[in-house]
Amino acid sequence: MQNVRQVASEAFCRLGLKPKHTGYEELTDLDAAPWPMNSLQPQWYHTLQVRRIRAQRTRSNSDPLQGKEFTQGLQWQKKGLPFGTASSYLNLEKLGEGSYATIYKGISRINRQLVALKVISMKTEEGVPFTAIREASLLKGLKHANIVLLHDIIQTRETLTFVFEYVHTDLSQYMSQHPGGLHPHNVKLFMFQLLRGLAYIHRQHILHRDLKPQNLLISYLGELKLADFGLARAKSIPSQTYSAEVVTLWYRPPDVLLGATDYSCDLDIWGAGCIFIEMLQGRPAFAGVSDIVEQLQKIWAVLGIPTEDTWPGVSELPNYKPDWFKPCEPQQFGITWDRLGRVPGAEDLATRMLKCCPRDRISAGNALHHDFFSTLPPQLYQLPDARSVFTVPGVTLEPEICDLFISGQRGLHLGRHGKRW
Amino acid sequence: MEGGGSSSSWVPESRTLEEEQENADKAAREMRLHFKITRFIMEAGVKLGMQSVPIATACMVYHKFFRDTSLDAYDPYLVAMSAIYLAGKVEEQHLRTRDIINVSHRYLHPGSETLELDSHFWELRDSIVQCELLMLRLLNFQVSFQHPHKYLLHYLLSLKHWMNRHSWERTPVAAAAWALLRDSYHGTLCLQYKVQHVAIAVLYLALQCYGVEVPAHAAGERPWWQVFSEDLTEQIILDIVSKLIQLYSLDTEIS
Repeated sequence: MQNVRQVASEAFCRLGLKPKHTGYEELTDLDAAPWPMNSLQPQWYHTLQVRRIRAQRTRSNSDPLQGKEFTQGLQWQKKGLPFGTASSYLNLEKLGEGSYATIYKGISRINRQLVALKVISMKTEEGVPFTAIREASLLKGLKHANIVLLHDIIQTRETLTFVFEYVHTDLSQYMSQHPGGLHPHNVKLFMFQLLRGLAYIHRQHILHRDLKPQNLLISYLGELKLADFGLARAKSIPSQTYSAEVVTLWYRPPDVLLGATDYSCDLDIWGAGCIFIEMLQGRPAFAGVSDIVEQLQKIWAVLGIPTEDTWPGVSELPNYKPDWFKPCEPQQFGITWDRLGRVPGAEDLATRMLKCCPRDRISAGNALHHDFFSTLPPQLYQLPDARSVFTVPGVTLEPEICDLFISGQRGLHLGRHGKRW
Repeated sequence: MEGGGSSSSWVPESRTLEEEQENADKAAREMRLHFKITRFIMEAGVKLGMQSVPIATACMVYHKFFRDTSLDAYDPYLVAMSAIYLAGKVEEQHLRTRDIINVSHRYLHPGSETLELDSHFWELRDSIVQCELLMLRLLNFQVSFQHPHKYLLHYLLSLKHWMNRHSWERTPVAAAAWALLRDSYHGTLCLQYKVQHVAIAVLYLALQCYGVEVPAHAAGERPWWQVFSEDLTEQIILDIVSKLIQLYSLDTEIS
């Protein structure tokens, strides 16, 4: 008894006394960054960003300062700063608060890039939150144009900070800025990138498990990046069970709502299908308000109540109680969501993604080759993982309708194509 | 390495031999110690109700940590306890530090009273948490691993369909293969070989132990394991098998 306690606390002392160890130098706190903040007015950023949108760019667009030389004259930037230390980054403004972290916008003093700093405070009783460990360990192995890039990890005594590339908005904000459904061409580009990112992580045997518009970052150019891998995990044996409470209810597939725990890639496909409809239609596909039963009722109202014939094995799921639900017949997607019918291929793709039976859902890789995407340039399928789809000539976002109206009010000629669908 | 061609030859042969002997002794000592500690991880893991994959992850974290660090600097039992805690988080089988401390205490001091919840206890808990952070930093947050388990499961199922039912059911090949795989984590095999190769090698050894012959692939007379892994050679299998056997001789030596 004496022994274990003694060796442990001795070892603990040694931990603290080994400053020369790999990456173990004492780190200053983020707030204590020695550089004055007053040289960085918010105004100044605004101008930078406006300039950047106008510039024609072919490379990754997620950080407005990349490759631009107009900040060279500024004094705050310093050569030779190392990665991994808090003083290499300046904290600009708070962007939001997540489940286990606070997110700040920041700027790197190493290479002038804008970054998102995810600051995780560590409760000493529990150590590093498991979501943080999983997010970092999975993202370390992922390099893809449609996955958010983890630049750096900083440890201080009380906090752990993940440094991500800065992407200026997310799909949730983008949709609320452009209400009433997005331009079908843009939906196609977003959807292609979402499926491209999913196909990539699924190839690496990783599930995202928490797809929702807030977790899909959108850059100025329209690059979509999967973010927030806190709930993601590497999937192992297909028979393995995972903990049940994972996906936000709206994007949760019926099998998980019914209590299944043996989900696989099909979990993310359902979420992606819901997001697809939400982008086109302008409102969530299945917006349940209160509980699982209501959420399921919303789904059955479109897909019909599953039976052993349409979904072998469904009656064995823990929450399967057909008499809880009002009887409903399957509906055509194009009737429930009218905009799906107006874009060639959209209804069919959505139908293939939103199957009640998980095994029937199309895979991300196959979905990419669906006819819905046939109008996109074929070079998109040959891109290396790290290349953005916007590097292919001719691939650009169309202006959203409400943006056109705003410019129309400013006196720009709008023509006869006010509404395209 | 010494710069010139012949300049290194003046070093007396005997001294190099001595040094070599010393290094070999040190390596053998460390191997024995790591064997003991991983046995602790596995037994504590079982008592904590951990499944095989989280236990394997804990061993992997432990071995990786000491591959990059010297044994003199850190207490191996503390590292092992933190490895268990960390593996629980990585594999989503969460464990409480308190349970880990109690189980470890009981393991290291059998028959003694449970620990009081006093300041020493809290110090111990803080040490585990601090050590976890250190390990994450040292391993560069790369703590999600592939394990041979799912491959072994897949291979066992294929082989079962492939072979005639009687020769399969007569012998506990599957159970032996799982046991071999679990025991392989006593050493650093898991860091040195591809997961597919380890899975095949334990299956190979299990089949050999019971003298079960697998019919060769009819057309090209390819051995069965080549069907599972294209880049595997017999030499690799034999290397892994001999390392496994070495682990078992270590076991008899220690206990």
